[in-house]
Amino acid sequence: MANKKISVNPKSRRLMVHETVTAYLFLLPFLIFFVGFVLYPMIMCIITSFFDATMGREDIFIGFGNYKELFADPVFWKALWNTLIIVLVSVPVTCIFSLWVASAISKMPVAATSAFRCIFYLPVVTGSVAVTMVWKWMFNNYYGIFNYIGQATGMIDQPINWLGDPKYALGCIILILLTTSVGQPIVLYVSALDNVDKSLVEAAEGDGATQMQAFWKIKWPQIMPTTLYILVITTINSFQCFALIQLLTSGGPNNSTMTIMYYIYYNAFKLYRYGYGNAMGVILAIVIAILSAVQFKAGQEK
Amino acid sequence: MKKLIALALAVVMVLSLGACSVQKAETPAPTQAAAPAATEAAAPAAPEAAPVEISLWTYPIGNWGKQEVVDQLLAKFNAAYPNIKVTVEYLTYTDGDDKVNTAIEGNAAPDIVMEGPERLVANWGAKGKMVDLADLWTDEAKADIYASVEAACNNGSGAYYEYPLCMTAHCMAINKTVFEETGAWQYVDAETHTWTTENFLKAVQTLYDAGYKTVGAVFCSAQGGDQGTRALYNNMYGGTFTNAEHTEYTMNSPENVKALETLYAQDGINFDASINGGEEADLFAQGVLQMAFCWNAATHAARTEVIGDSFEVFPMAFPSPNGTDVKLCGGIWGFGIFDNGDSAKVDAAKTFIKWVCDENTLESVSTSGFWSVRQSVADPYADDALKSVYGTFMQYMGDYYNVTPGWTEARAAAWNMLQQIGTGTPVQEAADAFVATANAAAGK
Repeated sequence: MANKKISVNPKSRRLMVHETVTAYLFLLPFLIFFVGFVLYPMIMCIITSFFDATMGREDIFIGFGNYKELFADPVFWKALWNTLIIVLVSVPVTCIFSLWVASAISKMPVAATSAFRCIFYLPVVTGSVAVTMVWKWMFNNYYGIFNYIGQATGMIDQPINWLGDPKYALGCIILILLTTSVGQPIVLYVSALDNVDKSLVEAAEGDGATQMQAFWKIKWPQIMPTTLYILVITTINSFQCFALIQLLTSGGPNNSTMTIMYYIYYNAFKLYRYGYGNAMGVILAIVIAILSAVQFKAGQEK
Repeated sequence: MKKLIALALAVVMVLSLGACSVQKAETPAPTQAAAPAATEAAAPAAPEAAPVEISLWTYPIGNWGKQEVVDQLLAKFNAAYPNIKVTVEYLTYTDGDDKVNTAIEGNAAPDIVMEGPERLVANWGAKGKMVDLADLWTDEAKADIYASVEAACNNGSGAYYEYPLCMTAHCMAINKTVFEETGAWQYVDAETHTWTTENFLKAVQTLYDAGYKTVGAVFCSAQGGDQGTRALYNNMYGGTFTNAEHTEYTMNSPENVKALETLYAQDGINFDASINGGEEADLFAQGVLQMAFCWNAATHAARTEVIGDSFEVFPMAFPSPNGTDVKLCGGIWGFGIFDNGDSAKVDAAKTFIKWVCDENTLESVSTSGFWSVRQSVADPYADDALKSVYGTFMQYMGDYYNVTPGWTEARAAAWNMLQQIGTGTPVQEAADAFVATANAAAGK
């Protein structure tokens, strides 16, 4: 049997073309921004990483020279290690704490839930500089409230230089990061828990399931997409921890709070080593991409 | 019809984006000084000169960081030169360098920048971004401006990347009230505002024994105010930061190592990696620290309200082996012009600089709170007893080594070195590592 040629009404074809053009025109503003502020910088970052680029002279192509230097740079490894510690501590703690708070406040009356949501979201909407400065005062070696309380209660004999002592500085950074990170996950978890099918929970409880069983068997699978999103976003945010470091420690003392993001800034803006900084940016992007892919894969399998 | 409307909307959106960007470009700079109408009317008309708009970015050099003060100066300038409009952006030392560097790389550098030779000459000038101001350096200017200042504004090959306005000698300060109460005052030469290293250490120990557990802080969280810590350890036993030719860093000399070892071992002196120079000065003003290593006349003026009547500030030179062989770090501030390829703007910028530095000298200098770089200009603070004390420190002005090649990297490495020492790294090891890094940067 011969194939029958499908004829398209010219009017329908015009309509399709019009709709396609319209769609692309609507997408155009975003595409311009995406190309200009995401795609182009990314491509430039990769290209520049193969050059010895600095201010005031032509860039010199050095192939993988920056990458070779990077892997032999002890400060880079220290920064990568610190960044991984921040991620490994802050991501699970943020997720677990947010889920716990969301579970607790989602059962409260609507007004109380809203109030707590606002309270936990405040550090997110407050400027990071303002929040960081308040923490800086609290950690102050000479008049900070932590030392005051510690000495008043007899927990410490001498004031602790929280941000100036390598033993404590990274912990302080992680603590501040946690307070600014939990707001959004809490709001998302509260919404996700509200959307869980109540009839399923009631049916399970009617069949004798404990609250814990109902949570893990009914609620947890339904909020998994939210969990996955929170994991990915928190991981990326933790990897890109910069403002806190810049405002509080500048990577010190003795590189104990140096992160990859701050080391990129330090090399690019303070030492004018644009190629070297970009090479670090490429490595960081690869690490984040791999971790995000793993998280997505793990989330899909669940 | 619906499709048509959708298409039209999409076109409007795209056009509006373009319009937004155009509008942004036309948005005036944060501050813009223009002569009052009456003044402009009185000014001589200059129809032959086309109006030129130039931008000035200034770091917070005394009142040059205050818009209301600078606006008055600009109004006066516009009365004389109505065709040159100057827009001003006020930078901070926290992120000012980043802003300037970003602007340079984005081909949006300001026409004029106000700062010191370490940035204008050793950094942006060395990178070929500045205009040579040799024509402003007339024979008269060279004869009048201090030779050390001229040397700092010159790149060593005959190009001048800065035309200087003012200078000061950075010093330290002590809490006189507490010094008197504890008996540490006996170690101070109150007449000359100097002391020997031995007496400095005795004074610190006396205060410590009297219960002041943190007398002074070797601050090292970042580079802010680092001229204070450098001056401290360089002067204690006569060390230097660089060689006299400004070709090599000499921080790891026995004199400097001894000074840092002495400071590290001294009761009451804390290597503090959580504060910078400005924060140290604040802690001193609040009475938390009993001495400040980051201090000068402007630092004092900015903290007068905080200090109030709580104690008396006594400015001091840094301690040195015999007390008077001290070499203070100088601060020199002036103007440089970025090479933006527009000769009309360069000419206008030079006119502005000449007016500020040569025609309106005294007012421009006193706005900074410092002293003129010209020997012919009288002390603007002759009637101010406290300011006069700061003026006497000018005799101790040491070598301006901030123009040594690799300064930016060396400066960053210096506070890292102090952090290492503060966390227990042997001083010689940390100093050797610093010198290796700094000299490598100098050799690039």
